[in-house]
Amino acid sequence: MGALLSLDGVVAGYNQGLVLKGVNLSVDASEVTCLIGPNGAGKSTVLKTVSGLLKPISGTVCFDSEDITSLSTHERLRRGIVHVPQDRSLFPAMTVWDNVLMGAHIVRDHAAIRSRLATVVEMFPIVERRRQAHAGSLSGGEQKIVEIARTMMLDPKLILLDEPSIGLDPRSRRLVFDTIRELTKAGRTVLLVEQNARSGLAVAQHGAILEGGVVKLEGTGLSLLDDPLVAQLYLGAVAPTTSVASRATGVLPSPNSISALKEPQ
Amino acid sequence: MHLLVQSIIVGVLTGGVYALMATGQTLIFGVMRVINVAQGAMVILAAYLSSSLFSSFGIDPFLSILITAPILFVLGFTIHATFLRRLRPEQNELSLLIMFAVALGIEGVLGLAYSTTYRSIQTGYVNRSFTVAGYHVALVRLLAFGLSAVILVGLFLLLNRSRFGRSVRATVQNPTSARLLGVEPTRVAAIGFGLGAATAAAAGAVYGLVYPFNGGSHYDLISRLLSIVMLGGLGSLGGSVIAALVMGVAESVVAANVSPIWSSFTFFAVLLAVLVFRPRGLFGVAQRGAL
Repeated sequence: MGALLSLDGVVAGYNQGLVLKGVNLSVDASEVTCLIGPNGAGKSTVLKTVSGLLKPISGTVCFDSEDITSLSTHERLRRGIVHVPQDRSLFPAMTVWDNVLMGAHIVRDHAAIRSRLATVVEMFPIVERRRQAHAGSLSGGEQKIVEIARTMMLDPKLILLDEPSIGLDPRSRRLVFDTIRELTKAGRTVLLVEQNARSGLAVAQHGAILEGGVVKLEGTGLSLLDDPLVAQLYLGAVAPTTSVASRATGVLPSPNSISALKEPQ
Repeated sequence: MHLLVQSIIVGVLTGGVYALMATGQTLIFGVMRVINVAQGAMVILAAYLSSSLFSSFGIDPFLSILITAPILFVLGFTIHATFLRRLRPEQNELSLLIMFAVALGIEGVLGLAYSTTYRSIQTGYVNRSFTVAGYHVALVRLLAFGLSAVILVGLFLLLNRSRFGRSVRATVQNPTSARLLGVEPTRVAAIGFGLGAATAAAAGAVYGLVYPFNGGSHYDLISRLLSIVMLGGLGSLGGSVIAALVMGVAESVVAANVSPIWSSFTFFAVLLAVLVFRPRGLFGVAQRGAL
């Protein structure tokens, strides 16, 4: 599979300063790519530059062989890029059904909306089961599932998931990661940002480590899980094996930076 | 007892008119978190427009709404595009001053165009009434009540059953998330503001039929509207309707059974009494955007 999304030398930030300092990243089609790294590394900022919430200062974002760097959020949505932000993004005073319908806000074809609704209901039974419930009354895990279900209304090519497991109990976390697996089985491409690095890499075909605004290391999800240094720095334990199968694309953090990495920035 | 029931009937019908006026205020607050202190001035502007259309072209005030509503919609849309859209979220308090300036501007223009003499819209049916079970019902107030009910139901359906309504509610509840789904919050806010202003057109025609007015009438009107909106709970459409009926009845009952002198004060006494026990008003929503 070729790259569906590629970031080339992306520099971006906010008023407080630069967050991304030249990010290079490729996301292959029909795969889960998981982005991990310490707090403040710029993981969520990467997603914002892809969805168009944040315009890069320099560098390019290419999607489906098209340079989309200067496109608006709306135009990127039309091309099939949907972003599920870290904060709960459902509309709490609206019903689950209305929330899901909002996913097709830009779709004008009523037949397509009906057909996608049928698919979503089949894939996510909670949508039908709780259709009249206010979204705000759902548990955190249920809300996250409905958020993902809502993205499917757009029949997306690329789903950007920002910390989907944050604040969830273990059962809900499992449900969310199972859902992410189902998405790739359905041919979707997912760029996942996950603080829970072990679970994120386990579900991903490809992983990347972001630190200080640049991608420091890339590899398959399993190879990064097996990498002892990655385990020590980001997974909170020594890896079960000692093989380093990842392909480094940059310089690994020195041992001196370990404590700095553990401090929230 | 007869007097009490009669005053309640008058109060309910008057409350319907208040509800129509307060709904626009609530809609604008719900969509934009802007307290539109110019809503009263927009109602009076619409009353003058209906009055002119009636006196110059013989167009019935109720029919004139078809002409004045688009005019007020454009006015609201323009006010949003010109002044409010430029405000950053942290500058939202400035909107109060901006809308006060708009109110004064409208008052000034009306003073220049129409002078400050009180006027009212005198149609052939304005003084007609009929009797039901011994109680008098003023035709114009009943028509006004019916119109309010139709517009309120229409607004409810628009907000709850249409694609646009969904995007309005979504924007109110989570603007960033709405944007990520393709909603353009600025456009939604502008249309919401325009719609709120357009309800003033209907309210103005009714107001002109029921009450005498001049350019300065908006001061009294806006104090009542704000009281109703506060009593109902800021941002709650249903709450503002209930509050309007409560206020209308309280005012009418006190005027008929105690003294008309105390009727205006009743408005604020009810408001203060309720806010002591329910600081968010009768139906105030803790959750942003439950229009």
